[in-house]
Amino acid sequence: MAQSEITAGAPGTPIRVEAPARPDWEMLARQSRRARLWKNGLLIAFLTLVSVPIVLPFFWMFVISVSARTGGVESDVLWRACAVLVPATFAYGAAHVALPRRKQRWIAGGALLAAAALGLYLMVGEALHLNNYRFLVNPNLIEDIRGAATAGGQFPWVWTAFANSFYVATTSMLLKVIVATLAGYYLSRFAFRGRSGFLQGLLILEVFHPWMLTIPIFLVIFWVGLLNTLSGPILVLTAIDLPFFIFIMKGFFDAVPWDIEMSAMTDGASRRQAFRMVVLPQVRAGLIAIAVLGFIKGWEEYVFVTALRTGNSFWVMSTYLYYVAEDVMGVDYGLVAAVSVFYILPSLVLYLFCQKYLTQMTLGGVKG
Amino acid sequence: MARVELRNLTKSWDAATAVADMSLSIADGEFTAILGPSGCGKSTTLFMLAGVYRPTAGDIFFDGARVNDVEARSRNVGIVFQSYALYPNMSVLQNILFPLRFQKVPDADRRAREMAELVQVGELLDRRPSQLSGGQQQRVALARALVKRPNLLLLDEPLSNLDATLRLSMRAEIRRITRELGVTTILVTHDQIEATTMADRVVCMANGRVEQVGTADDLYLRPDTRFVAGFIGSPPMNLIEATVHEGAIRAGAARIAVTGAEGTVTLGLRPEMLHPAERGLQARVAHVEPMGRERMTTAYTDFGTIRFIEPIAAPARDEGELMHLQFDAADTILFGPDGRRLPGARASLPEAAHA
Repeated sequence: MAQSEITAGAPGTPIRVEAPARPDWEMLARQSRRARLWKNGLLIAFLTLVSVPIVLPFFWMFVISVSARTGGVESDVLWRACAVLVPATFAYGAAHVALPRRKQRWIAGGALLAAAALGLYLMVGEALHLNNYRFLVNPNLIEDIRGAATAGGQFPWVWTAFANSFYVATTSMLLKVIVATLAGYYLSRFAFRGRSGFLQGLLILEVFHPWMLTIPIFLVIFWVGLLNTLSGPILVLTAIDLPFFIFIMKGFFDAVPWDIEMSAMTDGASRRQAFRMVVLPQVRAGLIAIAVLGFIKGWEEYVFVTALRTGNSFWVMSTYLYYVAEDVMGVDYGLVAAVSVFYILPSLVLYLFCQKYLTQMTLGGVKG
Repeated sequence: MARVELRNLTKSWDAATAVADMSLSIADGEFTAILGPSGCGKSTTLFMLAGVYRPTAGDIFFDGARVNDVEARSRNVGIVFQSYALYPNMSVLQNILFPLRFQKVPDADRRAREMAELVQVGELLDRRPSQLSGGQQQRVALARALVKRPNLLLLDEPLSNLDATLRLSMRAEIRRITRELGVTTILVTHDQIEATTMADRVVCMANGRVEQVGTADDLYLRPDTRFVAGFIGSPPMNLIEATVHEGAIRAGAARIAVTGAEGTVTLGLRPEMLHPAERGLQARVAHVEPMGRERMTTAYTDFGTIRFIEPIAAPARDEGELMHLQFDAADTILFGPDGRRLPGARASLPEAAHA
């Protein structure tokens, strides 16, 4: 560059222009491969490290649930399991970085998985058992342990609590989805007096934590006579989630072009048909997202189901877990861990299958 | 296929009036274009015809029957949107079939396939709209609008999302299809070439009002208003605003004689009606733009900046060159202070300025 400038600046002066050196492509490629290897390796190591505090408690819970015998805390099995799994994880990370082809990675992953399974079997194989999961088949769990009825009495079979939880979660989820969809559509499409105020109101509701309202809600539910029924928590949970869900659905509807709806209506559809046949299919991701979120929130609810019952009128999974922990405290950690695993499972499965839609939800929400 | 009539049609929202007192009648099978700049109310008119918007005042008649209170879905109007508005959750065939789902049609499937053949998307029936190119989406939208044999076909800026070559071929294609089916068609566009090439008749709108209704030639050669004169034609007509005093408008030493008008007027001169001459209106060349077939020159005169067109074969002019321009009195158009054309008024360069 410098030389060519000189040539231009002094015409007529002969200046020898050196031919540019041919770049060593091989070396450059090697360099960039090595850099990429380092970057990927560090990234994977970092992500693995930061996920340890998140994954470890769950893993520990699971290990306790399938290994604890006396109810005492035994970390021995956990460490032995980790002695197999940690090297296996690192080995997989290394394989992922080192092997460029997808097929090779799959083979390495499969081999490592098999090795880890074998290692686990050898290290902790005989310590594992399913005795802690006996609550699934034994309706009189506490009586069997204590030999007498529990302090609270009428401690139910876990499936009763499971059915109640499922009923609360599903019903409130359906209510949330139906109301949020219709309200979101209306807010997105119609101009009416107080629309912006309504939208601001939705956001303001999100500022206050619903627990602040526990006592007023208790009184309201008491006055309408829904205390000690499952309908009480169902309605309260629905009301609490609705503002946020309406806002999400409004965002999704905003993203559906008005043209498409007009087109459907000129094609001969009524407004309701246009909504059902053309608009709804396009907000499917939003519907699934709020359905999953709504279900999980109902499933995990503890505060309002506890607050809205005065005796042991109904049991759900969260209260069941709490009483198992209370009643057998110091006696059987294995049982508590097993109930926890059982409690987590539905949410986990749902979440894993619908993860894709849940991430889209934030996008739709931002658009709104 | 229907005759359409608009009588004193008005649409206003709280403060703004989108369409004001519009009257228009369209013959059966006619291809009409509504042309105007964005925001002139042309799309609003279209949506009132489709039944999506309800008119604030005035009436719409299809074949003499008032349809104001008939819902969009019962009007049997086909519409192609600028965005095509295909249903993304349905295949091409399902899209074309969609309007027939609301009518009891015995051979819906065959009709949809025939229509797909007519617009040449027969091989794409199983695709999703997202897998189609813009031109293909356009054709599907057209097929969907036409499959129910509509009384009226409405096209809302149908070509503006296509590239230039495709636009040219779709223009002819749409014309062919509508003519083949003999359907009454209304095209809404801001593109004058689109309007003048496709339509039998052009309705020029501005600010919610109809400025002029006529053929492409009417609008170009005999604009009724100053707006039409400035809007139609590329490059636009030169418009010189001046005051007629003692039968002439003056600027410095220059003088243009005016007959049939008095007071404030606007003089319109088409760029191609101005010719270089030995004598005439003095002009200094500002810049020259070759445009292929011809060359557009911008020049300063005593009456302001003026554009004129010369064939590309003529020798190129230099910037700053001094020259003279001449025009025929018959080619001049004058508009009054209200913007309407003054019939019979003419402008000419005084004899003394002639060669």
